[in-house]
Amino acid sequence: MSGTTGAPMVETELRTKAPAGRAVPATTMRGASDHGAADPAHAPDQGVNRPRIQKVGVVGAGVMGAGIAAQVANAGVPVVLLDIVPGAAAKSVERMLKTEPAPFMHKGAARLVTPGDLGTDLALLAECDWICEAIVEKPEAKRDLYAKLESVRKRGAILSSNTSTIPLAALTEGMGESFAADFLITHFFNPPRYMRLLEVVRGPATRAEAVAAITEFGDRVLGKTVIPCKDRPGFIANRIGGLWMQSAINRAFDLRLTVEEADAIMSKPMGIPKTGVFGLLDLVGLDLMPHVAASMKATLPAEDAYALGLREHDVILRMIAEGRTGRKGKGGFYTREKGPGGESLKRAIDLWTGEYRESEKPQLESLSLRDLRALAEHPDRGGRYARAVLLDLLGYAASLVPEIADSIADVDAAMRLGYNWTYGPFELIDRLGAAWLARALAEDGRPVPPLLAQVGEGSFYRVRDGRLEYLGTDGAYQPVPRPEGVLLLADVKRRSAPLARNGSASLWDIGDGVACLEFHTRMNALDPGTIEMIGKSLAMGKKGAFRALVIHNEGEQFSVGANIGLALFAANIAAWGEIEGLIEAGQKAMRSLRDAPFPVVGAPSGMALGGGCEILLHCDAVQAHAESYIGLVEAGVGLIPGWGGCTTLLRRWAENPRAPKGPMPPVAKAFEMISTAQVAKSAFEAREMLFLRPTDGITFNRDRLLADAKARALSLAEGYAPPEVGPLRLPGETGRVALGMAVHQQVLLGRATPHDVLVCERLAEALTGGRKDHTEDTTEAELHALERQGFMALLKTPATLARIEHMLETGRPLRN
Amino acid sequence: MPTYTAPLRDMRFVLNELAGTERLRTLPGCEEVGPDLVDPVLEEAARFCAEVLLPLNQSGDIEGCTLENGVVRTPRGFPEAYRAFREGGWTSLGADPDWGGQGLPKSVGLLVEEMICSANMAFGMYPGLSHGATMAIEKHGTPEQRALYLPKLVSGEWSGTMCLTEPHCGTDLGLIRTRAVPEDDGSVRITGAKIFISAGEHDLAENIVHLVLAKLPDAPPGTRGISLFVVPKFLPTEDGRPGARNGVTCTGLEHKMGIKASATCALAFEEAKGWLVGRPHKGLSAMFTMMNEARLGVGVQGLGIAEIAYQNAVAYARDRIQGRGLDGTKAPDRPADPILVHPDVRRMLLTMRAMTEGCRALCAMTALEHDVSLRHPDPEVRKAADDVVQLMTPIIKAVCTDTGWEAAVAGMQVWGGHGYIRDNGMEQFARDARITQIYEGTNGIQALDLVGRKMGAHAGRYLRSFFHPVLGFIEARMEEPAMEEFILPLSKAFGRLQQVTADLAQRGLRDPFEAGAAATDYLRLFGLTALAYAWARMAEIALGKEEDAFYRAKLATARFFMQRILPETSSLAAKVLAGGGTLKAFEDAAF
Repeated sequence: MSGTTGAPMVETELRTKAPAGRAVPATTMRGASDHGAADPAHAPDQGVNRPRIQKVGVVGAGVMGAGIAAQVANAGVPVVLLDIVPGAAAKSVERMLKTEPAPFMHKGAARLVTPGDLGTDLALLAECDWICEAIVEKPEAKRDLYAKLESVRKRGAILSSNTSTIPLAALTEGMGESFAADFLITHFFNPPRYMRLLEVVRGPATRAEAVAAITEFGDRVLGKTVIPCKDRPGFIANRIGGLWMQSAINRAFDLRLTVEEADAIMSKPMGIPKTGVFGLLDLVGLDLMPHVAASMKATLPAEDAYALGLREHDVILRMIAEGRTGRKGKGGFYTREKGPGGESLKRAIDLWTGEYRESEKPQLESLSLRDLRALAEHPDRGGRYARAVLLDLLGYAASLVPEIADSIADVDAAMRLGYNWTYGPFELIDRLGAAWLARALAEDGRPVPPLLAQVGEGSFYRVRDGRLEYLGTDGAYQPVPRPEGVLLLADVKRRSAPLARNGSASLWDIGDGVACLEFHTRMNALDPGTIEMIGKSLAMGKKGAFRALVIHNEGEQFSVGANIGLALFAANIAAWGEIEGLIEAGQKAMRSLRDAPFPVVGAPSGMALGGGCEILLHCDAVQAHAESYIGLVEAGVGLIPGWGGCTTLLRRWAENPRAPKGPMPPVAKAFEMISTAQVAKSAFEAREMLFLRPTDGITFNRDRLLADAKARALSLAEGYAPPEVGPLRLPGETGRVALGMAVHQQVLLGRATPHDVLVCERLAEALTGGRKDHTEDTTEAELHALERQGFMALLKTPATLARIEHMLETGRPLRN
Repeated sequence: MPTYTAPLRDMRFVLNELAGTERLRTLPGCEEVGPDLVDPVLEEAARFCAEVLLPLNQSGDIEGCTLENGVVRTPRGFPEAYRAFREGGWTSLGADPDWGGQGLPKSVGLLVEEMICSANMAFGMYPGLSHGATMAIEKHGTPEQRALYLPKLVSGEWSGTMCLTEPHCGTDLGLIRTRAVPEDDGSVRITGAKIFISAGEHDLAENIVHLVLAKLPDAPPGTRGISLFVVPKFLPTEDGRPGARNGVTCTGLEHKMGIKASATCALAFEEAKGWLVGRPHKGLSAMFTMMNEARLGVGVQGLGIAEIAYQNAVAYARDRIQGRGLDGTKAPDRPADPILVHPDVRRMLLTMRAMTEGCRALCAMTALEHDVSLRHPDPEVRKAADDVVQLMTPIIKAVCTDTGWEAAVAGMQVWGGHGYIRDNGMEQFARDARITQIYEGTNGIQALDLVGRKMGAHAGRYLRSFFHPVLGFIEARMEEPAMEEFILPLSKAFGRLQQVTADLAQRGLRDPFEAGAAATDYLRLFGLTALAYAWARMAEIALGKEEDAFYRAKLATARFFMQRILPETSSLAAKVLAGGGTLKAFEDAAF
């Protein structure tokens, strides 16, 4: 890989889309990080010492360097970004403002980046507490740069390299003692905003304080999970991930699988993202492979399994030569072509001829198996493939501890966060059975790694007294460590029984008199069970079961909103009474959240859409993960928010001190946001859009979100009184006419469909107060009734039902 | 010997007044479809069925088919009747004019089919199978295959078959073993054994076009590895005439309970030459595209039997005198009253009538949607119509064939001991009707299709095509006093169906066993509610026309249906809501 493009890393997989069709920078990993708020203006000091790193320098404005600088800026820390090519740093900041998924969490973050040229602006680095190098992967070039940095850096400033391939020893060679004491490797994954893994490698001379400072900054400020690695080629994730890719490719050729078959086996059954292996190569670029291979070959011992397995495949070489390097090139293993009728046809490479053919859904019996061991034992080529790759991968991983890391838990965490795997290799071994794997390796005449032999009939992980433990290299189980300030619901669930539970949600005691309401449906869609559980939780709180409530879960998405599949089925059988009853129950639940005699704090991560957003709007406070994507997207499926979303967003804008006075501006703003189904692409954007209040907190490290939310809830609990909710003054008929004219403009411009007009009419009615006008008060009850009527009227239209069905079946909005 | 008069008045009613020919006439190719065109067709079909087919029904049943040296002979009179049938243009009625057909819509074709099934269901099997083969080749064949086979099939010179079932598999076709080995010239050699092949071998047509499911050598396992092939009995020559005998022979005739004049063959394929129809491994989905029409056709068989059983039960009840009316003597001039006066006989007759006319109405309403789904220029309209057909097909297949069986049994019952005597012909209806509940997917399979495929598809979109119009119909008539006696029971049954559907969707999603346990009762509940909707619509048309005896009888039958049949929905709902626990709990060994 070239140094300026950074680590050969796995891209974020865009696995999910916002229902309104605006792509949300969904991440398959959850962002991690820390303290209260990164926006310095609102950063509450939550017991963290003043950060030792207050200004950062990044040298090398390629994809990785620029992305690291952007994430530092996202966290509210000023950063200098330099590049050897004059003007390149400034250009990369410009470029990042247009990139999707966005490296910046909000436009304002870009202002914290000071771009400059290495030749003229070196002195800017003098103020930096940490300078991160992300230039070309050539030791001499790096050492030349380090010599320059030595001349400007302030005393004790930490230096690091984002190298993914060069041993630390080669970088510090001849650089002097004070350099070596302040130097380490900080290996980020691409894209740095979204990938949660940060591998840190210290040298023998590195100061412990420097490691501690970077670890704390990476964890709490940048939100990464910091994994200490040994100074070995590829560190943890790329060493194991690279071997996996190599094995998955080689074995597909050996066992004559199609690319579709290989990817089908190498994804869901193994807990790997759906791109599998060939799809992943298309994503990262086929041309990267030879570079990685060359670098690994140069640094690994010749007898290493990775080095031994290096092979070239004619078909792949030819594809690279022809520029078919993947999504950034002229297609890769998969491509799309226009069919005779103009339709888009998915095509795939035939691995033997190198020609494209129509893509085919794999038809392997082994693919229907849910149990990993049953898959690996299945006699068809899918099963043989799974077995071969698993043996390669897991045998290799088991042989690398303690060479590359001291703890198997660190290895698993690195693979989960760096490659978005659901299970790390040792967790996979436990799923297969360690003894099964040892026997299978022996049957194939392969060595059984000592670590594996040591486990015997046991497992690498176990739960003892409600605590998760892993097997140390000394043969003793020890607790999987949690950094101070990390509270995981998964740990709570291991050690206790829920206070209450139904099929959709559970209530947990998270200590100190705080309860946590957890959703656990698919994508955390809200259904009657969820509403019932909200009511039950509030009733228990009123009886004194706890003194504050946090709404949080550890799913990928906080909640994608009401279960529209259930709603559509009910609508299809014309069960209108039941549906309206559920809307009313939801409205009541939202009001009860707000009016409860104890504080309720929402703690979202990932998507909080539709009903999920409405829950947050009715919480007393929100502590949001920085990677929260919040919006009222109902219009995308031809509906309007019915659980108080219209009313509450309207109130937010009406009460916003910065907004222009008069009844119309807040209505217009809420109308614009809801009618176009706007989704905030970060917690910062959500704050700008008033989905979050200025006082709501933002946490960068996802693992710290629950603890931060709990602290917030406790801070509110003392002397808590529910908020007063007064009536609103709304423009009525006049406002509705004005909004109608605006919509008419959109129709003339071809931007609104006939059904959009209908949805907008109902939305306008709910936001302008129906028959009331600005001389009268409109109560919340009246507004909720308008929301309900609008929702029901729209749900009875075939166009809305067609939109819902299309969204359910394709994940994309229908423009009808 | 049973008699038959085609129910032309009711047929015109369901076609013109209930389903409505105006909508039909908006479809391309149907602009002329109206009484002027349709009435003569129906009248001629009625005459042909009564005069030619009916007299062969009982003799055909007694005589059956015979197999000698691989040659199958149909009963006496069948070859002549078939020639007259063909020459009368009945094989080409609904076929595409491009292939020599007359292009009449299904809405008309189904009525003719009903008459044929009433008069001689076994005879109807031969053209019925040809129709299936025609559709398969029309939809999936190459231009050459269409040009070669379709004109012959449409004219009836050649007949067709569908070869699916094998000795070890019927419902689960993924298990089939018949193999197709590709030849260099693009053809295949087919080897395997097929059973239960209707019209598999006979003496009515000069050639037989078999459509055969078989597996290619590289086929994936299961149902995704089945391909469809055309295998003619005689290989067509260059000029399209029957040539060399192909390697397919009839190795046996089944001895069946009924439809004895229909040759049900065991066929042996020994390196028979065949050609792929459609894409490799897509044979089952090719068959699926014809399934709705085939299943509707079987439903109409049930309807046809129910009609003739009813007619002959009524005739006997008028004629037979036994005892006196419970509410006083009705025929003082005779030694006893006709049994028509007895309430239990009337119960049986009215049940037969209400179910038969209701099924005819449902068939007509669905056939219209079928025509719209095939012919309408707007794809959205076609899709909406197809939703109705998808949903109603399993219901019609199961409810109409159950009605056929129940009416045949009731017809025997009205006849008393004489119904059990072979010469009187009533027991033949029961024997003939029984197969319709079994083939083309047993009625249990229809119920699974409804709860497993149709109910959940597109989050219930197919259901919308029933629930929305019916609720709209009910709501629009809530304030009409004259309709109250029909709307209230309909609305009650509809509410039950809604409740049960929501409940079953949730339980079934969690546990498919629950869906399976409820399926048959649920289908019946759905079917009765659909019949109630049809009856309410028919009653609405009849209201105000009471001076005409036809409409008077319609209203009276509608009342009977609402009061004496529809309440069954409450026990069905209770059964569904009770769940499948008792079915699951019973120990296998204790059976």
